[in-house]
Amino acid sequence: MNIYRKLSWFFKDKWKSYTTAVIALMIVAVLQLIPPRIIGVVIDEIATDMITTNSLIRWLVLLVLTALAQYGLRYVWRVRIWGNAARLERIVRNRLYRHFTKMDSEFYQKYRTGDLMAHATNDLRALRMVAGGGIVTMADSLSITLVTISAMFVVIDWRLTLLAIIPLPFLAIVSRYLGRMLHTRFREAQAAFSQMNNKVQESLQGVKVIKTFGQEREDILQFQEQTENILDKNRAVYQVDSLFDPALQLIIGISYVIAIIVGGFLILDTEITVGEFVTFISYIGMLVWPMFAIGRLFNIIERGSASYDRIELLLNEKSSIVERQGASDEPVAGDIEYKIDSFTYPDDKMPALEKIHFELKKGNTLGVVGKTGSGKTTLIKLLLREYDHYAGQIKFDGQDIREVTFDALLNSIGYVPQDNFLFSTSIRDNIRFSDPTLPQEEVEKAAKIADIHQDIIEMPEGYDTQTGERGVSLSGGQKQRVSIARALIKNPELMILDDSLSAVDAKTEEKILEGLRDLRDDQTTIIIAHRISSLIHADEIIVLEDGKISERGTHEELLKNESWYSEMYDKQQLEEDSSELGEGE
Amino acid sequence: MAANTNVEEEARSIPVKEQMHVLRRIIKFTKPYLKQFVTAVLLVILLAVVNALQPRVIQTFIDDHLAVGTATQATAVKFGLIYFGLTLFKMVFTFLELYLFSMASEKTVQNVRDQLFEKIHRLGMRFFDSTSTGWIVTRVTNDTEALKDFWNVLLNIIQSSLSILTTFGAMLLLDWQISLWILAFVPVLIIITRFYQVYSSRTYSEMKNKNSLLNTQLAESINGMSTIQQFRQEQRMIEEFEATNDSYFQSRFSMTKINAILLSPIINLLYTIAIVAILGLFGYDALQGPVEVGVIYAFTSYVNLFFQPLTRLMDNLSLFQDGVISSERILKVMDEEAYAPEQQAIPNLKIEEAKIEFKQVTFSYDGETEVLKDINFTVNPGETVALVGHTGSGKSSIINVLMRFYEYQEGEVLIDGHSLREFPIEELRAEIGLVLQDSFMFYGTIKDNIRLLDDTISDREIVEAAEFVQANRFIEKLPDKYNHKVVERGAGFSSGEKQLLSFASTIVKDPKILILDEATANIDTETEILIQEGLNRMREGRTTVAIAHRLSTIRDADQILVLEAGEIVERGTHEELIELGGRYNEMYELQNLGLQTEE
Repeated sequence: MNIYRKLSWFFKDKWKSYTTAVIALMIVAVLQLIPPRIIGVVIDEIATDMITTNSLIRWLVLLVLTALAQYGLRYVWRVRIWGNAARLERIVRNRLYRHFTKMDSEFYQKYRTGDLMAHATNDLRALRMVAGGGIVTMADSLSITLVTISAMFVVIDWRLTLLAIIPLPFLAIVSRYLGRMLHTRFREAQAAFSQMNNKVQESLQGVKVIKTFGQEREDILQFQEQTENILDKNRAVYQVDSLFDPALQLIIGISYVIAIIVGGFLILDTEITVGEFVTFISYIGMLVWPMFAIGRLFNIIERGSASYDRIELLLNEKSSIVERQGASDEPVAGDIEYKIDSFTYPDDKMPALEKIHFELKKGNTLGVVGKTGSGKTTLIKLLLREYDHYAGQIKFDGQDIREVTFDALLNSIGYVPQDNFLFSTSIRDNIRFSDPTLPQEEVEKAAKIADIHQDIIEMPEGYDTQTGERGVSLSGGQKQRVSIARALIKNPELMILDDSLSAVDAKTEEKILEGLRDLRDDQTTIIIAHRISSLIHADEIIVLEDGKISERGTHEELLKNESWYSEMYDKQQLEEDSSELGEGE
Repeated sequence: MAANTNVEEEARSIPVKEQMHVLRRIIKFTKPYLKQFVTAVLLVILLAVVNALQPRVIQTFIDDHLAVGTATQATAVKFGLIYFGLTLFKMVFTFLELYLFSMASEKTVQNVRDQLFEKIHRLGMRFFDSTSTGWIVTRVTNDTEALKDFWNVLLNIIQSSLSILTTFGAMLLLDWQISLWILAFVPVLIIITRFYQVYSSRTYSEMKNKNSLLNTQLAESINGMSTIQQFRQEQRMIEEFEATNDSYFQSRFSMTKINAILLSPIINLLYTIAIVAILGLFGYDALQGPVEVGVIYAFTSYVNLFFQPLTRLMDNLSLFQDGVISSERILKVMDEEAYAPEQQAIPNLKIEEAKIEFKQVTFSYDGETEVLKDINFTVNPGETVALVGHTGSGKSSIINVLMRFYEYQEGEVLIDGHSLREFPIEELRAEIGLVLQDSFMFYGTIKDNIRLLDDTISDREIVEAAEFVQANRFIEKLPDKYNHKVVERGAGFSSGEKQLLSFASTIVKDPKILILDEATANIDTETEILIQEGLNRMREGRTTVAIAHRLSTIRDADQILVLEAGEIVERGTHEELIELGGRYNEMYELQNLGLQTEE
């Protein structure tokens, strides 16, 4: 019941339609009593030969009227209650989505996409059930039960009623018990299904490996284990699921038997008439659903409140990155100054960055090299404000980046990450992601500098080619170049290439970098790379090792150092010497 | 490509004739479980009969005993017990029917799934290269799952028809004249059902499409959230999402309305009107002469039984449409004919020397454009041949032919003088090791990823293989070493480490022939060196065909083939080709020049 208090904001907002619906429901419950009673009365009139044309017509007209009224009222409550349930789902889904857009990378590391999706689908469905089925069940079963039982008491016979309804509470108990059992087993069956799903996915993605090693047979056997597991888990489900109806039949059957025997006795004693007996039997039938539903109601509420708790938990997650009050919204432009004493990732013990101090003058280019895991990307993440809690400062244009708005900072930065994410839309809209109103010329201009224009126009639908999940699959190098164009089209004050040319061959890389140098003569650039040749033109290069700057200087200076940098350069030279043949992709 | 056809499939409605055809074919999969299905249907018939009997018991009790005053307390108990007996029967029958039917339909789904998966593994690379993974996965998982609902709809149809038939029979026995009047409701019911089906199926599929769109958008936004945030596009994405969410709500709301107008409320209305008809007819008779009141009771109960199954049936009709669409897609895969190339195997033919010859091989993917033209070369046992050329020059096609991923059309590929087609496929798979460009990793442990699915490989062999390619260096740094967990697609391992692991899994089988498809992705220089060493060690004593991007790998190759537009344009050793001063030399010079300007 707690869940309804938690959702009271919604019920309060929609109290009018809920009240209308519940009243409609209750009237239907009362109206439902009329047809069995009319049948009983007509039977009695026939049995006692009291029937006349007039009385018959009167009863029949009344019957038609109640039927029509029921139809209208049922429409009223159904549309209101189920409509509101869908509304609640919509509101909470929007809320979740808005919340997701505010969350930081810590949040996305904590929750995997699959989990978040599950919350936004399964938990919302459970919530919809609470606001729909839950309310209906509660209002309907309560009113039907009350109204019907009192009618049985008052109109027919209280002794008969009392005896006949003894088995009914068991219905609620049984349906609750079985429902719980079913739920657990069902979850196991679902888990088995998703396991199989993963298996298929993996087999198909690795199909070339399987073929290469000739292991089709073994793979099929593994798959059959999965389907066998699904069968086992579902058998357990069906064992319970198939019990519902028989249990219902048994309990309701006992009620009928009591009604037949006790009702028979009462007719013999002329306490009730045959017509009343018939009415009574119909009323028992009407109690089946509410009793059964009450049991189900507990399960709906239980699941709904667990789901809502999970959703609330998500919504209560706070992003550690927030805009300061009164932050400057003047777009930043100018020199960049790193003064980081230390930064440690949440849940990590060792600092990821230590004593990073350097200055990057407006219009200059900074190169960053280092082994995998040396802290290159971390350096950028701080600048992009993915993490705020570090000792020290990063200044852009003389201002602490935490003192300006997100708009002011991020709109000045064009970031091309290592792993490029393209959206399921046309290549054109991917390139002009920052502003979908940009004209084709601008898109093409950016694409040309990123050396992807030629690739795009050779695709069957050119710039209209769809990418992402449902579209063509671009090669790694093509993706990288599209995302370079996407960052470039913003004409950002600061452009950051984070190992974003790794899948492009050396020549193309050089071409792109040259294009960038020409275009962005007086703008700032940061390049992170493995390939030292990409950094040769940088005004300063810093070498990172275990989160610290181990070497710094221009290319020439670093070569003279004869340390890690020059060693790497020599190794790469040796390779490059024999060099690449053919294209990189 | 696959995704597009997907959308088309959803949008078009399938003509009835085709629906029936699909139905007939998909029903064949129930064959092994026919007994269970038939038993379940027989139980359904029994149940319908018991259902028709129960009101008769009460009717007899009323008419033969209560109304005529011959009843005693003993008769009341007797009828109570008869009724209870019937209830017990019903219970057992219902349980068995539900359980048998569910299990039979579950087993059918399993059958379809297993067959589908086997079928997929018989298909050749052509199928996998032209079909998206996601599309195939959905066929094997969700479409087969939808079949369950499909069987349930069929059962519902059987159930409702049977219960309508038996109750109608029971009514006929009681009073055939009034029963005939009830028949007048049948056309009304059919019209309403049809009406509902037309309206609901349209709205329903719209709702489903919007829901999947909504979820796609959501998943994509979650995956791309950092990009959205960096580009400050939150507001735009929120607006787009809310628009989709709203249109989803609108179709759900229309569905609610349609259900409220045409589903259970209308069935209820019809039920009451049928009661009116019965009371009217019996009342009219009663005005003329005596009528048995128990019969009126029985009739009203029968009318209930008559209408009861209809709500559920109508509710499930939209699932029928889903079922047809899913079945159609399943059958599409079952009908797929892009099989893996066939062998005309000579039993026990073994690869001994591992000498490879290509003789005038011509190959085309689509039967029109030749991607390999008159390819001739020989690799002597233990030697290395390197393939060099631009994308699309035919390097990968040679591997596709040699691996039997695709069938070649003309010429002959020989190993030890025997056609590639004459070796049992197991022998080819055992003796030809392919190292793929992008190494794929399976869920499991490091050990599993070296052994793959071959249980005959011992742990010692795994360690030896890892040591041979020096993968042990990083494996031994892992917390659980060889038992270290590998998650989906090997996240957490660098591409260089993945390469080393795939070397190990190739070398553990000790193949006589090695095919290398060199990776292009930039790997940090230190791992790169390990990889080069690994490659050199692996080639030792093995006949090798290598696609190379870096000259350092192939400089010492016994023969270098330069491919251009599917033809071998130059061949020789590194020195010979430089001497020749042709394409190879040109490429080589170009690269060197590029380096010089950089410095």
